[in-house]
Amino acid sequence: MKLINYIRNENMKIYKRKRTWVLIALVAVFVILQIINVRAGDGGTAAADWRSQLEQENHRLAAEAAEPDALQIEIRQAEKNILLNEYSLQHNMPPETNAWSFAGDLSGNIIFAVSLISIIIAGEIAAAEFVSGTIKLLLTRSASRTEVYTAKYIAAILFGLGLTLVGLLLSLLFGGIMFGWGGLGDSYMYVKDHTVHQTPMLLSILGSYLFHLPFLLISVTLAFMVSAGFRSPIFAIVIPLFVSVAGFVIAIAMNGWPWTRFFIFSHADLSGYFLGDPAVKGMTLGFSLAFIGLHLAVMHLLSHTLFVKRDVS
Amino acid sequence: MPLLQIRDLTKIIGRKTLVDHVSLEMEKGEIMGLLGPNGAGKTTTIRMIVGLVSKSEGQVIIDGIDTSQQFSAAMGKVGVIVEQPDLYKYLSGYDNLVLFSRMSPGVTADRLKEIISLVGLEQSISAKVSTYSLGMRQRLGLAVALMHKPSLLLLDEPTNGLDPAGIHELREHLKNLAHKENVGILISSHLMSEMEMMCDRVAVLQQGKLIGVHRLSELVQEDDTLVQFEVDRPELAVQVLQAFMSGAEITAGHNQLRVRLPKNRIPEISQKLLDSGISVYGVNTVKRTLEDKYLEITGGQGH
Ligand SMILES: Nc1ncnc2c1ncn2[C@@H]1O[C@H](COP(=O)(O)OP(=O)(O)OP(=O)(O)O)[C@@H](O)[C@H]1O
Ligand SMILES: [Mg+2]
Repeated sequence: MKLINYIRNENMKIYKRKRTWVLIALVAVFVILQIINVRAGDGGTAAADWRSQLEQENHRLAAEAAEPDALQIEIRQAEKNILLNEYSLQHNMPPETNAWSFAGDLSGNIIFAVSLISIIIAGEIAAAEFVSGTIKLLLTRSASRTEVYTAKYIAAILFGLGLTLVGLLLSLLFGGIMFGWGGLGDSYMYVKDHTVHQTPMLLSILGSYLFHLPFLLISVTLAFMVSAGFRSPIFAIVIPLFVSVAGFVIAIAMNGWPWTRFFIFSHADLSGYFLGDPAVKGMTLGFSLAFIGLHLAVMHLLSHTLFVKRDVS
Repeated sequence: MPLLQIRDLTKIIGRKTLVDHVSLEMEKGEIMGLLGPNGAGKTTTIRMIVGLVSKSEGQVIIDGIDTSQQFSAAMGKVGVIVEQPDLYKYLSGYDNLVLFSRMSPGVTADRLKEIISLVGLEQSISAKVSTYSLGMRQRLGLAVALMHKPSLLLLDEPTNGLDPAGIHELREHLKNLAHKENVGILISSHLMSEMEMMCDRVAVLQQGKLIGVHRLSELVQEDDTLVQFEVDRPELAVQVLQAFMSGAEITAGHNQLRVRLPKNRIPEISQKLLDSGISVYGVNTVKRTLEDKYLEITGGQGH
């Protein structure tokens, strides 16, 4: 009960600042940029000669995958797309973008953008209070340091989750305005074990957001760790931003190599277990969850200890 | 039971002892000054009392509650301002109060209204704190420190940045709180003049050590008064007085001499000087200020 009040306080400090709303608006800008991106590509609607386009694309993909310097992920991605295109050709399903497919396809990108924005909030949430001196008043009321720490972490995570929801809703809204809201009854196609599977569209959207959440969790926790443990807002924003972007890129580039199972960002996207294949053959969901849990626990152990033990002067 | 008990409070950082076995007791309704020159360890002591800084050694008991064992319960009885009252500048004054009221059980909206008028911030309470003057921030800080009706108030240099009117007002506030509402107030300062106007007792801290706790009434009371005679021949006057009151501490200056004696002997001494043919132009009693006393206690290193 006390903790709920402390979380409300943290929320008040986040949402009563204009800057926070600028950051939230950035998500809207991001979704709009993605729409422009899709429009500039295939325009979102199938052309009359979509069959020959898909066939051409398959030729190109096959040629790219056969090149000697192709990355593992490129080869796998090419195989998946070829299978999906063949499926469309066989079942006479012209590729079309609608609000639902747009929002689903965007899940990874939205969570990536939301995570970077949330890093700014999480990086400041504790450290900025040490800079401004307000931490002194906060820690001399009848709240324990652990309660203050917990409330701040929960508020930072809630901000990230809320912003993800905003991203999802905005992509459905803007996507619908641009491409229409038809197609909710369609199935979502994905490739698993070299064959095409399908699942209801709504389920796939919810799933793909859910399965990308570990990325948000890892980057926000990292920012919070530096923020609460080392008390410098600048470090708590810059370091996690750098690490998250680098981790994201490395995880993609190294996808498929056996040792990447020991790289935390390879577990940041769990959708492979449900809507595709895991990044490394034989890796299990349980291993991924345990590996994520281990990282979160170690980060909290370090920053909580520092937050509770260090003098405030 | 004392309101605040400090036992052997010590802070060591590296090889430096910032606070050295300080023991102190304070009663309800008492205003105690924590006096010491810059760097004496006043702020460190207050930070240790409220747990911002860990204790290297010692114990702090507030209203019978050991802060190391029941921190939350003890803090519920304390209001504190450490150095500046740092508040959330991007929030309104009222939002700041709401925020801290949620961290103190039992503070209602009515209580907030009451405290706002007590510190006289009705006009500007809905404005952002970033627009406040330093004095207004001090008032808001005081409102935050007082809203939950603490029985112990800890103030670190609270008059910093206040104008004379503000200082006077604060002093009246604090006296009221202590004497009418029985709040115990520990207030740090490096100015004796500030202390003597409101404190009941003063604890003097120097280089981390408590070198004395004095009741102000004791300090002011002096049996002997320092008396200054303005005379035309001070050397002769010194000789006369030395013969007359052997052992007295007499200092002579240009056309004047000073001697410590009970007030009722002034007529007698003056007469003696006149009888010896010395012209006396004036007699003054020199009041020793607490400032002098403080400098004497701290060995003159105060300023
Ligand atoms: N974190 C720290 N590490 C090392 N030394 C410190 C630390 N904090 C304070 N000190 C030293 O401890 C001494 C006491 O500092 P403190 O701030 O308690 O003094 P103060 O009596 O409040 O002085 P002032 O009147 O200037 O406010 C000073 O010499 C200061 O340099
Ligand atoms: Mg100080």
